[in-house]
Amino acid sequence: MSTSATTFIPEPGHAAAEHGHHEHKQSFFSKYIWSLDHKMIGLQYLWTSFFFLLLGGLLAMGIRFQLAYPGMPVPLIGALLPSTIAIDGVILPGGYNMLFTMHATVMVFLVVMPLLIGGFGNYLIPLKIGAGDMAFPTLNAMSYWLYVLSGIVILASFFVDGGAAQSGWTAYAPLSSTPAYMNNTAMGQSLWCVGLFINGLSSIAGATNYITTITNMRAPGMTMFRLPLSVWALFLTAWLLILAVPVLSAAAAMLFADLNFGTTFFAAQGGQPLLWQHLFWFFGHPEVYIMILPAMGLVSEILPVFARKPIFGYKAMVWAMVAIGFLGFIVWGHHMFVSGMNLTLGAAFSVSTMIIAVPSAIKTFNWMGTVWRGSIEFTTPMLFALAFVSMFVIGGLSGIFMASTPVDLFVHNSYFIVAHIHYVLFGGSLFGAFAAIYFWYPKMFGRMMNETWGKIHFFATFIFFNLTFFPMHNLGLGGMMRRIADPTVYEHLRALQPINVFVSWAAFGMGLATFIFLWNFIWSMRHGKVAGKNPWNATTLEWTVPSPPGHGNFEKTPTVYNGPYEYSVPGMEKDFLPQDEKAPEGARLEVH
Amino acid sequence: MTYRLAKLVFFSAAILFAAGFDVAAEVRESNLYWAPEAATVGAKKIDTLLNFIFYLTATVFVLTQSVYIYYLVKYRRRPGSKAYYSHGNNKLEIIWTAIPTAIFLGLVIYSNRLWAELHSPAPEDSVKVDVVSYQFGWDMRYAGADGRLGEVDVHSYSVDNKFGLVPDDAAGDDDFASTELVIPVNKPVHIYLHSRDVIHSFYVPQFRLYQAAVPGRTIAWVWFEPTRTGNFELACSQICGSGHYNMKAPIRVVSQEEFAKWQAGKIAAKAEEAKAAAAARALRTSTAASDPSGSAPRNKENKL
Repeated sequence: MSTSATTFIPEPGHAAAEHGHHEHKQSFFSKYIWSLDHKMIGLQYLWTSFFFLLLGGLLAMGIRFQLAYPGMPVPLIGALLPSTIAIDGVILPGGYNMLFTMHATVMVFLVVMPLLIGGFGNYLIPLKIGAGDMAFPTLNAMSYWLYVLSGIVILASFFVDGGAAQSGWTAYAPLSSTPAYMNNTAMGQSLWCVGLFINGLSSIAGATNYITTITNMRAPGMTMFRLPLSVWALFLTAWLLILAVPVLSAAAAMLFADLNFGTTFFAAQGGQPLLWQHLFWFFGHPEVYIMILPAMGLVSEILPVFARKPIFGYKAMVWAMVAIGFLGFIVWGHHMFVSGMNLTLGAAFSVSTMIIAVPSAIKTFNWMGTVWRGSIEFTTPMLFALAFVSMFVIGGLSGIFMASTPVDLFVHNSYFIVAHIHYVLFGGSLFGAFAAIYFWYPKMFGRMMNETWGKIHFFATFIFFNLTFFPMHNLGLGGMMRRIADPTVYEHLRALQPINVFVSWAAFGMGLATFIFLWNFIWSMRHGKVAGKNPWNATTLEWTVPSPPGHGNFEKTPTVYNGPYEYSVPGMEKDFLPQDEKAPEGARLEVH
Repeated sequence: MTYRLAKLVFFSAAILFAAGFDVAAEVRESNLYWAPEAATVGAKKIDTLLNFIFYLTATVFVLTQSVYIYYLVKYRRRPGSKAYYSHGNNKLEIIWTAIPTAIFLGLVIYSNRLWAELHSPAPEDSVKVDVVSYQFGWDMRYAGADGRLGEVDVHSYSVDNKFGLVPDDAAGDDDFASTELVIPVNKPVHIYLHSRDVIHSFYVPQFRLYQAAVPGRTIAWVWFEPTRTGNFELACSQICGSGHYNMKAPIRVVSQEEFAKWQAGKIAAKAEEAKAAAAARALRTSTAASDPSGSAPRNKENKL
């Protein structure tokens, strides 16, 4: 792998190699719908995930309304809610369960994964490695459409008899596997299984493509250790997907069979309820890293640009991600310390869980090392990237509480864990995604996003995010269980109710802030400042081609001479050295 | 400039926003970040560990974030400022790999020792309670006059046998049921945790205790020793269906004398009940010859 990379392989039947840069005439259908161009597919992922982001956000608003004002009718949209969720606008307990189940399902499978992996993976990988497209463009398009199909199936489940699944996104059996226990939602739960299965196919297809592309299609000179960290992150993520997702698919198929064909894989009689949890979390924990690694990679890409410094400890960053990827497969039992799993096994998983915090710590220190003695410009993408680091630190540190088995006895399934997951998944993955959108928007659409509105969006999101999720730590330590439709039925939680009201209003503020972003996103497409090839003076290959890049990406396959982060090289006139430029006379590059 | 202004507006808005809520109104008589006061021996040990981790992580957080923010301010772009060209430092990498590793290993040793201690075998003299969870409530069973809990077959729960008692085991005949968990203070309490349908969990925040109840299994490692009398609530903290949010039962931690009195009353009532039931059974066997109610079907639709 350390030798020079293989050359660009033209894809048979694909126009890129022969036609080079020429835009050939395409019908609307083949350009925007059944597109085989990785950039268009990336954008399709982006747009679709925005749609689901709004849906998932709306579900979250419903959750927060219910927790602040249990038993009161939902204003404005209450009357529109289906009778499986609310009657006369008042959210039912089962409907509440449906809201949080589908909020998480949508956010994990239809927003964060497609946005980070589908969207940025597709858009950036070929551009960053100097390839004309993905290795398998048709498989790529299929992967996107399978994602859409999975979204439709999951959406449809709201409208079937009994409504969507109500057993939590973790779908613990036998609640999820036994129709008699689940409030008439067997149909919704079955569609949940089908949706996840199809979504899994999409992920596996995408991952196959990423691995093949990154392994085989790197431009000459693009060695593995000259790959931008985002590509490394997506490469490792693809491996995690390919190893973890089939387990979920198998588990979903078994759950479907339990629900519909009378099998008893997960039943107490003839099966084993904990089997579901082992299968689910064997997927579910790598999944956490599947969602955070790409964000880490994207952020590692943005920090050097606006600090005008090479990333600190490139190889340490790569090995830390490799370590996370590997260890991610042997920590799943930390979700099950108190599940009835063998107690000694819990102690063992506690060790591996503590160890996996080390590479995360390494990454944090290296990010700090990157801004150290930099020349930091606080653009919107940089603000989101910097906030990502801090929020990730909070999410990482709160994870230590749960990793400690005795403390988990107390905080398990409490709001403490809700706070933790949102610091990692929203403060981490979504902040990383926002940073990436502001950063690569000019490449995607040829225009800059508005900075003022970008900053307003950042500060509003950052403040409301912390006001929403930080108090949840206190709620959890105050003894508030997650997934209860009405905290006021418990004596010890009634005293905490003002915090719930506070959190809800902060959440509504955060929801509104998202519209600033969407408005900016759409407005800037026509009215943003024209970006040019390289508005940020960045070094990686995507900034050497026009914005947006044409079909086939590169006029001719670039040759790579340098690592991805050569900023402020002493002895150079300009403060960055693009990867495809030979270092000028006198430039004192550090050999590492 | 607009950026400074925006920052100012948003920070003041945030403060005004926060001030509008009566968060501090309910000041809790608590020791720890608004956590309800610990009420068992184990809970206090967990609090000590929790405090330790809190101070550890808080220190790490404050240190790293202060350095980080200091860098962000100090190295902000100014006219003429130039970034320092550096690809990293291997010595630093080793240091910041080794130190966290050492800390985490220390923490995991501390944690796992306490974990083992909390799950050591329950003392012989524990009050034994069979706690059975179901959609959506709790049934408690205590040993009768013989001081022994009857044996359970986890697959024979039925409408007539809500504790899944094995008919051959006479120890179960005098066991009495309760819908509240009444336990004596300063005495170990050993819980046998069961579920009749889906996974539930035994959660009492004041006891710092969560344990899932898995259908088809007996979880027999939970025990604790209450340190103060009072009323608490047993909550289910594992999503178990539409009634999950309200699946609770009262817990009363009472003095040992009061517990003995309560127990004696329950045992006497059970004896009365058994006498009446025997009479009714005699009547029934004389009228109906083949009543299959004793062998309930075991399929999963047989919901209680």
